[in-house]
Amino acid sequence: MTDVERLFRTYNAALVRYLTRRLGDRDWAEEVAQETFVRALRQTSIQNERAWLFAVATNLVRDEARKDMRRRKHLALLAEEERDAMVEPEETTLERAQDAAMARKAIDALVEKDRLALLMREEGLDYNEIAEALELSPGSVGTTLSRARRRLVESYEALQKSQEEREKNAAS
Amino acid sequence: MQHLDEGTIHSWLDGALSAEEAARVEAHVKECPQCAAAVAEARGFIAGASRILTALDNAPRGVIPVAAPKKRFDPLVWRVAATVLVVASASLLLFRDGGREAQNATLSADSARSATGPSAVTTIAPAAPNADAALKETARPSPTTARPLQAAAESKSPTTKQDNVSIKASQPSVGLTEKGVAKGVAGGTVTGVQAMAGAVSGVPYPGGKPSPASPKITAHENQAVADQDRSVTTGNAPTSSGYAGAAAASPVAIPPVATLPIAPQALRIRGAISRDALSGQTPLKVVGNPKMIGAKVTLYEVSPGDTVTLREELNLRLEAVVVTGAAAARQAPQSVEKSAAAARARHADTAVASAADSQRGAMESLRRAPSFPAPISRVDVTDGVTMISWVDATSGNTLRLSGRIPEARLRQIKIRLEVERAAAAAAAKQNP
Repeated sequence: MTDVERLFRTYNAALVRYLTRRLGDRDWAEEVAQETFVRALRQTSIQNERAWLFAVATNLVRDEARKDMRRRKHLALLAEEERDAMVEPEETTLERAQDAAMARKAIDALVEKDRLALLMREEGLDYNEIAEALELSPGSVGTTLSRARRRLVESYEALQKSQEEREKNAAS
Repeated sequence: MQHLDEGTIHSWLDGALSAEEAARVEAHVKECPQCAAAVAEARGFIAGASRILTALDNAPRGVIPVAAPKKRFDPLVWRVAATVLVVASASLLLFRDGGREAQNATLSADSARSATGPSAVTTIAPAAPNADAALKETARPSPTTARPLQAAAESKSPTTKQDNVSIKASQPSVGLTEKGVAKGVAGGTVTGVQAMAGAVSGVPYPGGKPSPASPKITAHENQAVADQDRSVTTGNAPTSSGYAGAAAASPVAIPPVATLPIAPQALRIRGAISRDALSGQTPLKVVGNPKMIGAKVTLYEVSPGDTVTLREELNLRLEAVVVTGAAAARQAPQSVEKSAAAARARHADTAVASAADSQRGAMESLRRAPSFPAPISRVDVTDGVTMISWVDATSGNTLRLSGRIPEARLRQIKIRLEVERAAAAAAAKQNP
């Protein structure tokens, strides 16, 4: 097993999940993850593998041109999802679609640093790794994560509430 | 110990604190209900955030389209290309047919002229009418316009010879079938300007009797007219008078020889003829013909050291004449009126021309023609260079005359050029 194969088997799942949550697109996430591992190939040595991989993946995502393009597609997808949800008779599908849409809105409402720190933490990166990947001081990661979690939950609950009100109004 | 901040609580819950710090926090939370509540809330946020983020794991695939094989061309491009091809092919066929029609129409118009005498010109649309209309006119010359005018012409120049000519010439022409018209293109188109010129100037057709063998004219039906024209154009007045007719009837711009592709190019200045047409003025001296695609450029020396440039934007479409004819066919009713007006003008000119039969008279009649001088569409003065633009009534081409001379003088030169061009057009008809 080569080193890259080991890296891939160890971190690919977490990296793809992180990127999927970050981007809202599994294909794109896998594409970025692959690119991240390709870049890892070119490195002679990596100090903290996980931090390095997440940092590189995050930087790849920051490619503005790609981001804009994908965002448009993502928005189109969301619109499509909502249309599908409207005609979908199955309640579970509707709920899932609504959950996903609200979660996406809530996570997009966060500032970039909070969002990335949170997503990385969810993938098991410790505070030092997050600090290294995002170029933060280790002492500030706790504050960043606490702020990110609070805002995410509050934002999501607000969206849930407004959704419930719309449904109530529609029913009445 | 003061209360724990939220960051420290999350750090503790995430296991990011050192053992020493963690023990200190744990001790405080046990003693401090407020911080204990904050810890409970933080646990809720951590769990809630994780749950929310899990909802994002159901991200669909296929948002990024799998690299589809690139299409070489957009289907729309193919559609547009196909449309252009079809339209172009259809246009080519149509214009070709239209071209024959226009030429036939010209011949028919000439036939009508020869059948009814000078006044029959009034039945000709300024730009080639379609063949059917022209054939009808050929078969039965308009009684309303032709006859009174013919009578007038006869009264102005009551030569029995001319009457005879008209009658003789009309015999074969009236009987023309469509097939016959097609055959007669070469000869028929030659006669346009000259026939009118003769009519307008009131000069009788001295050589009006059909001559049996005219080698250059293939349509024997038109020989009479052609011969008349040849005689007429030896005089000076009819040539320039013909300008009025030329302006009124663009079909005459069709080259007499059908193989010439671009009709307007027949309008080359022929110094020998135009000299006669000018009222005492020497023709403008051509000092150069710079080659230019899409335009015919001629340099004239108007005085020693002074030159002007005449630029004629050529319509490079080979079927341009036909296009003009097709357009004119739609305007045929108006054209008849215009032709009638032109005929009236020519009729007025007739007195002058027949009285003097001089170059001066020809110039006069030319000036009185409704389209002479051609209206100037634009005047530009840039860096001392004056440029005037107008549309040549005969060819429809835009002409631009420019030079470092005052506008007034340029206008005079323009008029001279118009006369020369009209004369050259007439000459080109006679000597294809």
